[in-house]
Amino acid sequence: MNRALCGAALIAAVALAGCSDKGGDPMRQYGPNPYLPEPRQYLLPPMSVPRAIGWQAGQTPHVPAGLQVQALATGLMHPRIVYTLPNGDILVVESNGPGTVPYRPKDYVQGPIKARGGSKAKGGNRITLLRDTNGDGKPELRTVFIDHLHSPYGVALVGDTLYVANTDAILAFHYTPGATSIPGPGVKLADLPAGPINHHWTKSLVASADGSKLYVGVGSNSNITENGMDAEQGRAAIYEVDRLTGGMRIFASGVRNPTNLAIQPGTGQLFAVANERDEIGPDLVPDYLTSVKDGGFYGWPYSYWGQHVDVRVHPQRPDMVAKAIKPDYGLSSHVAALGVVFSQGETLTPAFADGAFVGEHGSWNRFPLNGYKVIFVPFANGRPSGMPIDVVTGFLASDTSVRGRPVGVALDRTGALLVADDVGNTVWRVSAASARPTG
Amino acid sequence: MATQIRTQRPGLVLHRPFVATGAALLIAAFFTDWKYFSSALFQWANFSAWLITAGLIIALIAAVLLVIDLLLGFGGSIRWIDFAILALAVVLSIFNAFIHSRDAWTSVVPEGIILSAIVAILLIVAGFRGWSVTAVRVRSEGERP
Repeated sequence: MNRALCGAALIAAVALAGCSDKGGDPMRQYGPNPYLPEPRQYLLPPMSVPRAIGWQAGQTPHVPAGLQVQALATGLMHPRIVYTLPNGDILVVESNGPGTVPYRPKDYVQGPIKARGGSKAKGGNRITLLRDTNGDGKPELRTVFIDHLHSPYGVALVGDTLYVANTDAILAFHYTPGATSIPGPGVKLADLPAGPINHHWTKSLVASADGSKLYVGVGSNSNITENGMDAEQGRAAIYEVDRLTGGMRIFASGVRNPTNLAIQPGTGQLFAVANERDEIGPDLVPDYLTSVKDGGFYGWPYSYWGQHVDVRVHPQRPDMVAKAIKPDYGLSSHVAALGVVFSQGETLTPAFADGAFVGEHGSWNRFPLNGYKVIFVPFANGRPSGMPIDVVTGFLASDTSVRGRPVGVALDRTGALLVADDVGNTVWRVSAASARPTG
Repeated sequence: MATQIRTQRPGLVLHRPFVATGAALLIAAFFTDWKYFSSALFQWANFSAWLITAGLIIALIAAVLLVIDLLLGFGGSIRWIDFAILALAVVLSIFNAFIHSRDAWTSVVPEGIILSAIVAILLIVAGFRGWSVTAVRVRSEGERP
């Protein structure tokens, strides 16, 4: 009956969202045992993209009492990742995907709709350096640090070598402390899976606690294998790369899009935020934060959240479904978690002493919208525990327009939270309201 | 008395070649659906999506030309059975285009290929009936008797 109604609505060419059912309360899908409704198949791919309008002068996102927020840098070119160097200098990776060729009639419809939300803005393909010596949130210096990159995303400094994960390779650059620019082109450490489709183009990067290894997140080449299984060779995986030889192995697989990685302080455990599959419902499948097990298989494409089979994959693989690990902590559906960083003690307020900040870029195919904020996932005994706390909100101007979208998160030298905003083209700095500039 | 030599050929009907062309594409989509069903090679499903989309665009052109045919009196009167067969094929193909916009296996199996098969049968019937929604006037040439 419902389907017949939807069909009638379609033929009458009613509003895009008219046919898709509404998503429920996202809070039911945070934590270790998220609510998982039955999957649905749609006639019309659900889309709900707010129009990107940017920030007016003086406007900022909102933070809870006890914190303050300010723009550390504006006028950037699609900033995605922020990274703090040991001397306190802040790197901002300005980047966007290299672009994809439309494959199907659907791509010609979805592309322009997504572009409304600012997702197709040109990236800088560069890294900008910000130097805020006195820690007042007003950088005295802003330079182009590394230019002419190829859709860069993750960065990691080990010793005197700065690694940059372009969409197709890890590059190594020699870094001298205090340097304000590094000439290119760098030395290639390892190739990464990229073209020709390169559906999920971001390559997240983090160094192991001892600095001997790099971990690289490589997203799948499709939503759910619609570009064929061959295109998924070596994708939807987290790699371990030997820093000296460039040799790589798959550390964990079945992670649809491991959009960012972080090492837990103290334990050295690798954690990832990952984006799960689309088009089986507004509350499927929750994105997640998880510790990453060596050799672990996390389900994609055959199943999600453990053993929930995805019927869109053919042939099915019950043997792989049986192996699939449940992630640690659901972040609710379609939030597009893109950033993760662990807090380092009580640098903001006591509530944020132990846990992880997660940047939720925001949904494009769910109504009501979900995400569009930075949350804090509290930890206890080294594991995510309890409900998340909203940290930075107010990115949405209304149900249909958005000022900015949070991506990568990091802590600066003082422990303030940095948030890259790729639609507002801004880096936000969130600090304790009582914080004073330091020498 | 001289033998009368008469040839007959169909009169001008604008919509008819577009009905035939659009139908060919929609019938081909059943073939590519079947290839996908038997091989699971994704590119066959992409072909189906394109064939259905293109078939519907040509069907739209055919519909516009049908109106012109009726207004200008190129064809004869409308034949409602053919109209119903072709209209049903178009409506089912619109559903089918949306089903083919899904990702991977369920973009074809089972609803997609079932609809493609029904559409193909309808269009083959329409083909045997002459690819036309209006009666086709026959123009005779030669000496009048």
